[in-house]
Amino acid sequence: MPEPQLRVNRGFGRVLVVVYAVFAVAATSRSVVQIIGRFDEAPVAYVLSAVAAAIYIVATVALARGDRTSRRVATIAISVELVGVLGVGLASLVDPSAFPAASVWSGFGSGYLFIPLVLPIIGLWWLWRTRSLSED
Amino acid sequence: MNGPLATIAIVASLVAALVAGVHLMVNRPPGRALWAVIAVVEAAVIVFVVWGFIQLPSAPAAGVGLELVLYLIGLAVVLPATSWWIRDEKSRGAAAVLVIALLVVPIMVVRVQQVWAGPGA
Repeated sequence: MPEPQLRVNRGFGRVLVVVYAVFAVAATSRSVVQIIGRFDEAPVAYVLSAVAAAIYIVATVALARGDRTSRRVATIAISVELVGVLGVGLASLVDPSAFPAASVWSGFGSGYLFIPLVLPIIGLWWLWRTRSLSED
Repeated sequence: MNGPLATIAIVASLVAALVAGVHLMVNRPPGRALWAVIAVVEAAVIVFVVWGFIQLPSAPAAGVGLELVLYLIGLAVVLPATSWWIRDEKSRGAAAVLVIALLVVPIMVVRVQQVWAGPGA
């Protein structure tokens, strides 16, 4: 018996979108406050927070829409997110002086219970799991 | 920003998260009882948010007005937005979304209290 069809924005996808939305709102609020209020303190970290916020927003909207084009956008955004959290996480360990203030991705997202590290992996898994159903 | 209104919002939200968690475990979509509980939580949150806006000018920490405003607005909309998002979801994903939203609420209330008090508090 064939497995019931899964849609990227239904079932577990609803949960994934909400988690991405929470991170989008949190990262956007944080970066707005950082950039407006104290940009000179740690420009690299604060710009990275803004980049992370933008990626979370794109991923949230793309996962929520769930059509074929949106799936491609989500795949790209979440892949960039994974590269970002790995790259920034590694850089923040190798050269902590470059990150006097934490960004969302510093320490592989340790300030957020490592959810920023796990989230893109789950996101890409879910996109792969629902891959054959996006042609609507 | 500490006080009974924050405590009521936190406790109500955690109790509702527990109820939503039971729905998740038994694979039951949210029913009228759970929506009623969530409405009570939202009412408690709105009272806290309004009180927060009223208290805003007297925040002890300097330069935190924008951050507090963003947190208070986020608090007010998190439950309505997530409820709208799962309005036609029949799977256990609906209850899972509510559990997450109801756990985000107390985290945000505590965060408001932290920002309000400032980094040295």
